[in-house]
Amino acid sequence: MTGLQLLLNVAALASAYALVAIGFVLILNATGAVNFSHGDLVMVGGFAAVSLGAWLKLPGIVLLPILMLGMAALGVAVAVCAYFPLRKRPPESVFISTIAVGIILQNAANLIYGAESRAAPPLLGTGKLRILNSSISQQGLAIILVAAGLILALYLVFTRTQTGRRLRATAQDREVAAAIGIRVDAMVAATFAVATALAGAAGLLLANVFFVTPTDGANYILKAYIAVTIGGWGSIPGAVLGALLIAAFEVIYPSIPLLLPGALGGADAWFSQTVSSIAMDIVILVILVLRPQGLFGEASRQRP
Amino acid sequence: MTGRANLLNAILLAAGIAYFTYALGFGSGYTLRVLSVAGIYALLAIGYQFIFGQAGALALSQGTFMGLGAYVSGILDTHWNIPFGASIAASILVPVLLAFLVAIPVLHLKTHYFALATLIIGQIVLLVATEWESVTGGANGIGGVSGLVMFGQAIRPGWPSLALVWGLVAIGAAIAWQITRGLLGSGFAMMRANEVTARAIGIDTDRLRLMAFLLSAAYAGLAGALYVHTIRVVSPDVLGFPVMVTSLTIAVIGGRLPIAGALLGAVLVIELPEWFRFLRDYYLLAYGVILLLAVILMPEGAVGAAQRLLARWLPAPPPAPPPRRALPAQAAAPASPNLLDITLLEITGLSRRFGGVRALDDVALSLASGEVLGLIGPNGSGKTTLLNVVTGIYRPDAGQVRFAGASITGQTTHAIARAGIARTFQTVSLVEEMDVLDNVAIARAGGALGLRAALATKPRDPALRLAREEAMDLLARLGAAEYALHPAGSLPYGVRRRVEIARTLALRPLLVLLDEPAAGLNETEQADLAERLRAIARPGRGHQGGAHQGVALLVIEHNMPFLAPLADRMVCLDHGRVIASGTPAEVQRHPLVIEAYLGRQAASAP
Repeated sequence: MTGLQLLLNVAALASAYALVAIGFVLILNATGAVNFSHGDLVMVGGFAAVSLGAWLKLPGIVLLPILMLGMAALGVAVAVCAYFPLRKRPPESVFISTIAVGIILQNAANLIYGAESRAAPPLLGTGKLRILNSSISQQGLAIILVAAGLILALYLVFTRTQTGRRLRATAQDREVAAAIGIRVDAMVAATFAVATALAGAAGLLLANVFFVTPTDGANYILKAYIAVTIGGWGSIPGAVLGALLIAAFEVIYPSIPLLLPGALGGADAWFSQTVSSIAMDIVILVILVLRPQGLFGEASRQRP
Repeated sequence: MTGRANLLNAILLAAGIAYFTYALGFGSGYTLRVLSVAGIYALLAIGYQFIFGQAGALALSQGTFMGLGAYVSGILDTHWNIPFGASIAASILVPVLLAFLVAIPVLHLKTHYFALATLIIGQIVLLVATEWESVTGGANGIGGVSGLVMFGQAIRPGWPSLALVWGLVAIGAAIAWQITRGLLGSGFAMMRANEVTARAIGIDTDRLRLMAFLLSAAYAGLAGALYVHTIRVVSPDVLGFPVMVTSLTIAVIGGRLPIAGALLGAVLVIELPEWFRFLRDYYLLAYGVILLLAVILMPEGAVGAAQRLLARWLPAPPPAPPPRRALPAQAAAPASPNLLDITLLEITGLSRRFGGVRALDDVALSLASGEVLGLIGPNGSGKTTLLNVVTGIYRPDAGQVRFAGASITGQTTHAIARAGIARTFQTVSLVEEMDVLDNVAIARAGGALGLRAALATKPRDPALRLAREEAMDLLARLGAAEYALHPAGSLPYGVRRRVEIARTLALRPLLVLLDEPAAGLNETEQADLAERLRAIARPGRGHQGGAHQGVALLVIEHNMPFLAPLADRMVCLDHGRVIASGTPAEVQRHPLVIEAYLGRQAASAP
């Protein structure tokens, strides 16, 4: 494996994780609550891509807009079932209600698709391109471009449009936003729609390379949660950076024996997938304990 | 409230006995086994209520602790032939030890960080159990675990096992009830309502949270040991997400606080799949829907909802308030006949910055025993920051705070409160659902809260009775005695303020710091409050209860007609610096003070 391939793998995984983490942060900022079903929404996106692909026989890039529209509607449904009835309660209530939503989604997927893993169609094709003497997977490159396009579109909506400003105002402070005449509930519902559409897009992107099974949600929610925590709670650029760090760790750590053949003298067992997961969990714990405000966040000061 | 809770518990107990009789009489071996498993989850949930309910922390590690207990018991049994009865202690201690180790770095984290940290710890344990094949059997786990054995006697499956499990549930429930029914339970309630306030009335909240976390791990370890000897196998499944979600679900459906809720919730959650067998594969879907509906419709859980209904149908007669009893004199009281001669609080060179802002800049002031000092200054001048540094909520960057002759710089908030500095905050925080009397009484006992004390408490706790009688006296001194048995959440604003001041006095302080006590009061209430504060500061002057000793007051206030007649001396802060001090009249006339409030031109006008 060349350095370029490795870099591309990191970037592709990071792009998909970033979409998940951004959706997680958007809901966190708009509601002050963790949406624990967010990982299951990624899983639903993956299965939706599988079904759409089987039905329409079209490449992923064409399915993507249809899928994101459907996922946006699902996001509004999640908000209506699990957030709006609880908006006046402490944020843990939403944490638990979205755990329930996750259980529902996971078991619904299990009933419909069974426990076996499925693959979604690729964005364009599955071939390899040759760049600078390295063979690069088309899908990996397409993931990066699509995710970058979505993030750019999101950035433009948030900074250049009136709706985007209203969404940001709602995320800053719901009470003040309501006081200046913004329809906060509509904005929160819109945030759920956007965040869930992004989760669905990530599901489509990931389900081609990594397949999708009904129990995938727990893994993705943990990744998003961790990315947002190490990036700084509530920060969107932080979430992207956090996703990049996680992806880099996940791709590079198990590849160390491949990158340095023979240099490790039989210590290859220390670079298995499981050990890699344990190592990352421990690193995250250390970060949580030493810098609870995240790697890049500033220590927040609160008034008692 | 207590009468109704007892009635509800009696109803639940009768229903439980009826169900058990039915199961023993007509149920198959399988039915009894399911009921045993429900008992195991009841123990798990009673433990979870300590950290999730009492301490109010969203821990996602309860399944991990149970799984750990199951592995310890299973490994001891299959590797070394140590039966259930002999390995109980180890299966409880290992999870408690893990809880203790992770508590040191993790327990102070805020809500969502704490939830994530506990989730990650669970992941690590799960990965280790899967990977460490020689000991844990890897992904397949350990089979062939022997059944329950106690004192060399094999406990047969069926009713003997059921009796053992539910006997342990009864013991576990009794211990949990004993721990939480008295002052310690009120301490937990105060901590949930407002942690900073809880510390400011002398409650060591870190200690309470650690206690709750260790107890939850202990119950989970016992549940794990019972589980592995009932199911006879242990695999990484027990460490997975679903067990954790089950304990959370039981606590949400049954109720976070009432112990009856843990039992009811466990029976419901474990038995439901049996009752809804006809749903087959859709059951798990229905399970998610039920959890969602429970969160939305029953915020206090089934037991809380039932209590609320009972309260509507059977209004309880109001109980009689306890008699008054005057507080004993302060332990640390200076023995000088002329109290005003003694410097009680001495602040020197105190500085604190926030980023680039100097909130306090080389502040020095002192306060004599029994003196009333008014602290004024424009908004943002550092008044509240000064109180926060004195009470240990913020650490100073430089400077010293000495109190009653000893340095208290850098001490914890609860230690400072116990040393004799009590305070109020700008926003009132009382435990809304607890009555006023206990809101005050808890401050009397804050320093004495502990597991050993709670376990040793007799059925009628003399310490609680004493604390309530003394609280009654304080409420009378603040003119709030008539509200003693009302829930604090039902009080008008002015009364809440006075209850909060009564609570500070329950600490038997030498010094009380009041942060804008008159804010939001009308003129009659202000005059009344000023009169009562004067009586607290100088009880000798003809007011009833002359045995009380004068308490020094440091009062932050913007309201000059309220403050000026009350204060012996005034200090004015601006931009974190002392710009004037002296008699109220001197300070109010001081050109720098006028400039700080009104601007330079006003100050220089003739």
